[in-house]
Amino acid sequence: MPTLIIDGKEIDVKPGTTIMEAARLLGIYIPHFCYHPRLPISGNCRMCLVEVEKMPKPVISCAMPVSDGMVVKTGSEMVQKARQGVLEFLLINHPLDCPVCDQGGECTLQDLAMKYGPDRSRYHDKKRQVPNHDLGHLIEAEMNRCIHCTRCIRFSEDISGVEEMGAVYRGDHMRVGPFKDLQLGSELTGNLAQLCPVGALNLKPFHFLARGWELKKVEGVCAHCSVGCHVRMDHKDGAILRVMARRWVEGNETWICDKGRFACDGLQEERLEAPMIRVPPQQGALRKVGWAEALDRAAEIIKGVKPEEVAGLASVAGQGAEELYAFQDFLRQVVGTSHLDHRLRQRDFTGDAEPLTRADLLMNTALIDLPKADVILLVGSDPRFETPLLNFRLRRATQAGARVFAIQPRHLQANLLNLTEMVVRPGEEPRILAALLKALRGDAAGDVRIAAMGEALKGAKKPVVLLGDHAINHPQGEALRRLSVAILEQLGALSSEWNGFNRVSSRGNGAAAQDFGVVPHRGPGYARLENTGMNAAQILAAAADGRIKVLVLLGCDPLEESLDRELARSALAKAQVIYLGAFASEVTRNAAVVLPGLAPGEKSMTLTNCEGRAQVSERAVTGPLEAKEDWRILRALSDRFAAPLGYNDLVALRKTMAGKDHRYDLTKLAAGESPRACDHSPVTLGLALPQVPAEEAAHAGIVLVLEPSFHRDDPVARRSGVMGKLAREGRLRIHPGDAAGLRVAQDGLVRLLQGDKKVELRVDLDERVPRGVVFGHYGHGTDALQELCDFHGGFPRVSLVALPG
Amino acid sequence: MKIVYKNIHLANSHTLAVYEANGGYRSALKAIEMGCDEVIDEVKKAGIRGRGGAGFPAGLKWSFIPKNDPRPRYLCCNADEGEPGTCKDRDILRYDPHLLIEGMIICAFAVGAEQGYIYIRGEFYREAERLQSAIDEAYAKGILGENVLGKGIRFHLAVHRGGGAYVCGEETGLIESIEGKKGQPRIKPPFPANIGLYNCPTVINNVETLASIPAIIENGGAWYGALGVAKSSGTKVFSVSGHVNKPGNYEVELGIPLKKLLEEHAGGVRGGWKNLKGVIPGGSSSPILPAEVCETITMDYDAIGKAGSMLGSGAVIVIDKSVCIVRAVARLSRFYRHESCGQCTPCREGTGWLSQIMDRMEAGKGTHEEIDLLLDICNNIAGKTICALGDAATGPITGAIRAFRDEFVYHVEHGRCMAG
Repeated sequence: MPTLIIDGKEIDVKPGTTIMEAARLLGIYIPHFCYHPRLPISGNCRMCLVEVEKMPKPVISCAMPVSDGMVVKTGSEMVQKARQGVLEFLLINHPLDCPVCDQGGECTLQDLAMKYGPDRSRYHDKKRQVPNHDLGHLIEAEMNRCIHCTRCIRFSEDISGVEEMGAVYRGDHMRVGPFKDLQLGSELTGNLAQLCPVGALNLKPFHFLARGWELKKVEGVCAHCSVGCHVRMDHKDGAILRVMARRWVEGNETWICDKGRFACDGLQEERLEAPMIRVPPQQGALRKVGWAEALDRAAEIIKGVKPEEVAGLASVAGQGAEELYAFQDFLRQVVGTSHLDHRLRQRDFTGDAEPLTRADLLMNTALIDLPKADVILLVGSDPRFETPLLNFRLRRATQAGARVFAIQPRHLQANLLNLTEMVVRPGEEPRILAALLKALRGDAAGDVRIAAMGEALKGAKKPVVLLGDHAINHPQGEALRRLSVAILEQLGALSSEWNGFNRVSSRGNGAAAQDFGVVPHRGPGYARLENTGMNAAQILAAAADGRIKVLVLLGCDPLEESLDRELARSALAKAQVIYLGAFASEVTRNAAVVLPGLAPGEKSMTLTNCEGRAQVSERAVTGPLEAKEDWRILRALSDRFAAPLGYNDLVALRKTMAGKDHRYDLTKLAAGESPRACDHSPVTLGLALPQVPAEEAAHAGIVLVLEPSFHRDDPVARRSGVMGKLAREGRLRIHPGDAAGLRVAQDGLVRLLQGDKKVELRVDLDERVPRGVVFGHYGHGTDALQELCDFHGGFPRVSLVALPG
Repeated sequence: MKIVYKNIHLANSHTLAVYEANGGYRSALKAIEMGCDEVIDEVKKAGIRGRGGAGFPAGLKWSFIPKNDPRPRYLCCNADEGEPGTCKDRDILRYDPHLLIEGMIICAFAVGAEQGYIYIRGEFYREAERLQSAIDEAYAKGILGENVLGKGIRFHLAVHRGGGAYVCGEETGLIESIEGKKGQPRIKPPFPANIGLYNCPTVINNVETLASIPAIIENGGAWYGALGVAKSSGTKVFSVSGHVNKPGNYEVELGIPLKKLLEEHAGGVRGGWKNLKGVIPGGSSSPILPAEVCETITMDYDAIGKAGSMLGSGAVIVIDKSVCIVRAVARLSRFYRHESCGQCTPCREGTGWLSQIMDRMEAGKGTHEEIDLLLDICNNIAGKTICALGDAATGPITGAIRAFRDEFVYHVEHGRCMAG
């Protein structure tokens, strides 16, 4: 343990610690620009020079490792002079246009120039003029302000893995940026602006919207996907204008994805502003009314049918655990029905028959432990676009040498190193996993690729299997899950030391929905129920044929979210709909009662991430005037029934929730005593393994696979103008060879046919897609591909026809 | 005494036949028989200091390579001879490439490297060709390859041509360039001896240093150490250029008086010794020595260091009284501005600023304050950059102002040169 003295204070540190880190531990700030604790060190800004006794020249504290007996001075005359010199150099070619720079007020260069810099310039020559590139919709570049710290370059190379930033030319002609105009193409682009210590790279959507000091800043948790990154919501005049990453060592470190950062403009669009009911009832038009009238009408509708004719569907995107708890509580205890679900895309519900618990349904390897994994098996998962900051951890593992195998219906657009992909026909995945399990048990694998995978897994000390959205919503999703468990059991990787089983849904708060029983077969806290109700597929079918007469929807738009759009349409047409949520849509326009709720950022809400970690996100803005927290609406509605809900405020509700599931004990959570992430073993063992059919006979037609869209898959992002500019949705991805066979070119129009159903879409030619399979996103509006899907028939088979134009 | 230039007067000295006829590759055989540690000891005993400019003792550098390290080791020869005024390595590459190859075999054997690279500056096109044909000859004769000289050791050698950047002559810039990256020096520590090429232990030596090794092995470290003067042993090639009657490369023992070098070897200063204004003793980065210092100074590392300059690469640039120092320095400043890699702040911004002021000064548009500003900017650059290029850019300016401040003042006051 080297001991050194910094500014007269002694400290012991680990060998290899740098002077900068040691000074930080002592609370001594050393000014710097290029140093970033989460990026490789480059040591180019020279701002952090310090004096070390017995060294002839000042040294850069960011890169110099400490040695025993070192005496460091961070404020000596030599250091002061060096800092002044560096600042003068940085400023001679800087435009000093702080009054019109978005970074003004929160700029490292501005701050340090105030503290250490000269008050006037000795430079009288012409300042450098640097041309700017158009970097796309997210980043505004003003490269005259660049101080060449290369943080953006190092981020691109090390973190995002998309090497699009670089330096060209030399000396004072050196320019940082891409080689040409380009739309920055990583899912982490926005971080470049947050990293940039000056105003060279700024957030384009935030350009000229506000000055830093006008913004109120509220710490929150991102609700867009299941990672739950820590964010800061900066708002002004009731609107969240930008979202910035907060430091969270165990999760997102200091990065967030572009959806989390830029989708906030969607909060302003298509909001439900007042309660509405049909006047006259049933046939009439929707009219804005007061809360009492709307709630009376909702109660009247529910009471007008038998309890078992009422069903509830919840969306987890943007709903807090509070809402989800109150929703199931209302339906089960107040209305008396057990028909409720949140799994609108799941095809395989056979797992519901087993007493599965948290460990079977969520992640068991903590995010912070993922980089320790040595072999990673991705099954039906595209982590880069489903859960970008989880993928960042996987990339870290691969940078440390981990190998990744992916069993996928298409090639991934991945930024993982050492990736071996095995592209299989959709539906074949269980057969591959079964063969892999056999290979691990010692049988000959037959397929060399499976044998190689088996060999790698056998040699692994810390294997990880990760099931993603494609696996969860697979026609044999439960088979895939059980096979994955069996594989890890075979490898001995389900112990408390290392549990490699991970099932990661990309959907925001899915873990809370599982925890609080927004499923038909069990209640809060994974309690088994006597009376199990209908699942999402059954509810929609029952509503369509009139067995369910009232649908209570919590933020849920079955037309867009559910797998079978035709079924959802007839269900919505037949049943009376009570809609509770924040955004207007086709569903609210046809609902019987509309009750306006609040969106993320407008309410204090508990979000449970893919590791099962409950985190509270506080309210930043108020939302539309009449809108209320969704749980409060349910509470008020329950007053119209015999046994109203038993909590009148947030504290009481959260206490009730903590009583059902100890992981939601907020007092413990605040005190840091809450259970660790992934503290929910064991994984259920001993379930029967499925009989996997032998190789599937070739079917006629092309297989259609739907995927969630990174840019559009939750109500806020779907309405965001920024996300809209980035999205390539409403496109069918097809192999160039298949496209040539159809005589359709890039951007050409095709018609997908299945029976009498048809959807018309433009195509994107994509080499990553195998022949005979086409990929689309869960769509919205007229080109929704869910028209062609249903819950039972496996992956849909379609025929394609090229259309002129 | 000729060591590195001993063969260059011979006809076809670049061929393997002539080299072997004159005792070539016997030192390599001897070294392999001696053993690695003994070779390093001999080189240490010789006290040879790096001939590229920094003057770091070569034997010491070799001994920094970690023993019992599982990583491969690399040997790089720095043939990116870019220091203005220097052309000593070019003649070795042109006329005696096998001497360099033999020196590299000995060094590689001593440090345990199995792969070597010769990083040659892009402008040396014909030299690179000649070097390559020498390497091909050596491979054909089993001197290089899987079984060097039949002694069961492996050493492969490749020529890597640079793109013409001065900064790639800096050893870590050179490494980056070989790795295919932008030629930007790395921060040190870590040093290349531990984390060098492809993050493996690496020795980097100048052409002249490596070309001296066969003679050291042949005759012993003590013999070499006896040449020259204390702490500056051996011979050195001085590239004498500028206002002398016989400019050229002269290999002499270190410690020779500068006056003797110029008068006896280089044919004397143009117009006589009295016409001498100053000498840049070690390449363009070294501060200029005024004529009165040149009277007595000897050409060794310590004496020149004491006089406030550096022996550097041994490029002796002689300047007579027809030269305007301000103009000469302005030209050099433009060079350093052009060659700064742009990575670290003081060098990137400072070299540009210096050059702009020097250009104005030369054009007669400078001010008295700017003479001191130049010194202050130099002070803010020197010692605060990643590599020595920043220091190098300041050397000509601080040296010139120290010795010839009156010429700067004259430029400010009269708007034109004092000389010419």
